[in-house]
Amino acid sequence: MADVVLKNVQKSFGKAKVIYGVDLDIRDGEFVVFVGPSGCGKSTLLRLIAGLEDITAGDLSIGGERVNDLAPAKRGIAMVFQSYALYPHMNVYDNMAFGLELAKSSRAEIDRKVREAARLLQIEALLDRKPRQLSGGQRQRVAIGRAIVRDPKVFLFDEPLSNLDAALRVQTRIEIAKLHTDTRATMIYVTHDQVEAMTLADRIVVLNAGRVEQVGSPLELYHRPANLFVAGFIGSPQMNFIECRVAGVGPDEVLVSLPGGGSVSVPVLPHGVATGESITLGIRPDHVRISPEGALTGRVELVEELGENHLLYVDAGQGRRLTVREPGDARHEVGGTVSLDLAREFCHLFKSTGEALPSRVGTTNPAPSSPDLASRAA
Amino acid sequence: MSGAVAQTGVPVQSHVQGRRSSLTRSRIRAAWLFIAPSLIILALIAGWPLARTIWFSFTDADLNSLSDYEFIGFENYLANYDGEWLGLLTDPDWWHSVWNTVWFTLVSVSIETVLGIIVALILNAAFPGRGIMRAIILIPWAIPTVVSARMWNWMLHDQFGVINDMLLRLGLIAAPITWTANPDTALWTVVMVDVWKTTPFMALLILAALQMLPSDIYEAAKVDGVHPVRVFFRVTLPLIKPALLVAIIFRALDALRVFDLIYVLTSNAKDTASMSVYARQQLVDFQEVGLGSAASTLIFLIIALLTVMTLAAGRVRLGEDPR
Repeated sequence: MADVVLKNVQKSFGKAKVIYGVDLDIRDGEFVVFVGPSGCGKSTLLRLIAGLEDITAGDLSIGGERVNDLAPAKRGIAMVFQSYALYPHMNVYDNMAFGLELAKSSRAEIDRKVREAARLLQIEALLDRKPRQLSGGQRQRVAIGRAIVRDPKVFLFDEPLSNLDAALRVQTRIEIAKLHTDTRATMIYVTHDQVEAMTLADRIVVLNAGRVEQVGSPLELYHRPANLFVAGFIGSPQMNFIECRVAGVGPDEVLVSLPGGGSVSVPVLPHGVATGESITLGIRPDHVRISPEGALTGRVELVEELGENHLLYVDAGQGRRLTVREPGDARHEVGGTVSLDLAREFCHLFKSTGEALPSRVGTTNPAPSSPDLASRAA
Repeated sequence: MSGAVAQTGVPVQSHVQGRRSSLTRSRIRAAWLFIAPSLIILALIAGWPLARTIWFSFTDADLNSLSDYEFIGFENYLANYDGEWLGLLTDPDWWHSVWNTVWFTLVSVSIETVLGIIVALILNAAFPGRGIMRAIILIPWAIPTVVSARMWNWMLHDQFGVINDMLLRLGLIAAPITWTANPDTALWTVVMVDVWKTTPFMALLILAALQMLPSDIYEAAKVDGVHPVRVFFRVTLPLIKPALLVAIIFRALDALRVFDLIYVLTSNAKDTASMSVYARQQLVDFQEVGLGSAASTLIFLIIALLTVMTLAAGRVRLGEDPR
């Protein structure tokens, strides 16, 4: 069992508090991704788990044992660094073997482990090379290999792909996912790239300014963000936010009036909001549709063609800019006026505190396939 | 100058194409133009005195009448008069000074290297007041050698020196020691003062090398649970080796030319004379410019030889990225 449990873990550097009481229960074999903007504390949290930083307060246990005061080497972890952290003067073989030599493993045992890891990562041909003779992708493999040979209970990855080019990043991402399937080890992975987070994670931990904003599966976070921050952070292009007023409250829906004069009835539980209150409506660019009689009108400011789809940036008045994603090639030109319709069941409402109103549909996600058929309010 | 070397390397490639392009030619012209001033200055301040010294070593020039001399070939180095060998190479004082210099260099540079590494490792760690410590430690290096040698001379004085006084009070010695006059202690005293003076220089060069090391590999070693001592010998030392060798060569070249420290601390004593002290004695005290120049020429050759050997042994190519 190599579950990782954080109980009210805090970290301060001098007087500056960077982690405010994180509670987290990472199950054995789970792939958990810490994601958040730069400076949110995700790397610090990983370094606390690794033991490279001291925990200021709270408890950290790995495999049921409290490890706050254990040296990194005794925690049963292996870490892959963003900068690879390879020993520049050692060849690939020695880089992987160096950490093993002091453990009581014999030469033959070390050799077997290193060659096994090299075979797994397809770097057998590189064993005699120095790190400087390797490409970025190969160096990253060696760094992963060095982690594998330690046979750790928990793998820690600190933004391992951010120094790779786009194509290699996708390839290495797939390999890390495969490594997880093969080893079934617990993995904790830090990234600022939400695509990595969405594709790799069993569960994502969204961090912001030293606090956990939400923990959940990728689709949970995407479909039911708990607050404005998560809604804005997960999903690309970003979710559109429109400042609205509550026009009416039903038992399981909230009617909001849009700035342009239209209104939308959003199927969420009102949860204590009152008529007249200001509220933020959020909707993803995929769920805004161009239609002849939409709830909002605006002028096309910019068109981005992506091939399989295109993005329209629409100025809906008073500096409000909405992003619309439509399939295929753009049919509108910059400067043209469009009318926008909001698919009501894809709308999210956020109170002025940032907290989301819970969805009426409970745990099931709205059918994402046919927004055009869904009923609309205008 | 390495740029110029690279530029002059271009013709090798252009031979393939037949002749150099006008762009290549103008680049080479510009390169020569830029390095010409330094080449001229080097020739004037280094080349000319060296050439003149080597020339004098083949003459019987005298300090009283420098313009009146004759070419005598290798007689300053080695000559045979009626079956008796004469010249610098047969002078036991010269060979004693060579031995003194080599011994001094080996011992002082070794001690300075070890101490320098220790000091640099300490200064590389984060502790309060580190900035001030880094400045303070440089003071011995900043004091002119003649001044610090005089200062040590007084401190080591057999009757009035503070060091004898302290050792007597502590009961470590029964009678004052004539540190700089006693042949048993004189050279060790010179080594000690040199270590005091130049360890900061070593420490500074090594500290610079330490600060270039990436911090992530130390974290990786920590996660792997590698013992710090092992990390030092297997990671830190190999990585700072190029810089360390440069520092050792610098110091060794300095030590092989040692003059002022020995001259001030032990005057003209034969027991402690270095090669430079010997050469100065021939040139100035005995006014034998020819013989003194021969000694100077040999010093030049010995230093050049040792440098080449050190570079070859360490296989350092100066200026090459150690990684």
